[in-house]
Amino acid sequence: MFEQLELLRLADAMARHASDRQSVIARNVANADTPGYRSRDLPDFSEIYSASSAKEMRATRSGHLSETNVQSIEASSFDAPGATSPNGNTVSLEVEMVRAAEVRQSYDIALGVYSTSLDMLRSALGRR
Amino acid sequence: MAGLIETMGISASGMSSQSERLRHVSENVANADTPGYRRKIISFEAAVKDGESTGKVQTGSVKLDPSVLERVFDPAHPLADDSGHYDGSNVDLVLELADAREAQRSYEANLKLFDQARQMSTKLLELLRR
Repeated sequence: MFEQLELLRLADAMARHASDRQSVIARNVANADTPGYRSRDLPDFSEIYSASSAKEMRATRSGHLSETNVQSIEASSFDAPGATSPNGNTVSLEVEMVRAAEVRQSYDIALGVYSTSLDMLRSALGRR
Repeated sequence: MAGLIETMGISASGMSSQSERLRHVSENVANADTPGYRRKIISFEAAVKDGESTGKVQTGSVKLDPSVLERVFDPAHPLADDSGHYDGSNVDLVLELADAREAQRSYEANLKLFDQARQMSTKLLELLRR
């Protein structure tokens, strides 16, 4: 039951990350012709997740409680340079489209996991 | 959800800036034969609100292209000087067409991301509806 909740939290964090990344990409595309604008991106969700679980406290006994705090994952965007155009802009529309497709996919996965987990909880409660 | 709405706002700002650009391009093309007309150029800049960048884009002020005007030879023209020349415009149609095409391409990219953000929020709402 509680593993289920952990799963829900994970899916929530993944969907949140996808929508944050979508926002960064939209910003890049909107500024595709702004002189001097530098393209930005967020790190992959898997990278952030493993980085956050590495910080977890070590449990030496079974009584020790630990919790991966996926909720608090916040990625900071980094500079993702592409080809620089003469006016100093590094946005490539093609690369942004690929990133947008990736975001779409991970968002769909996250929502799929979330809704399936909810279904499982529902059937555990004996409802349909 | 709020993030997605904000994303749609950013994409919409990109679309309105690009259509503003296209408006100036068509202004230039329409005035390609107006004597003494200098082509208008606009630049994009990041929108800033309360000293913080909002991520949106906006168009900067309109500038006139300072390059030399074309000298057209036509002694019968009312504006012609002693040598029979008058100042034409400095609009280069090939340049304007390239600019228009680029504006269209960027507009479509913004539209695509707007649509994707909209679909993502719709999907989220569908999850609640069940």
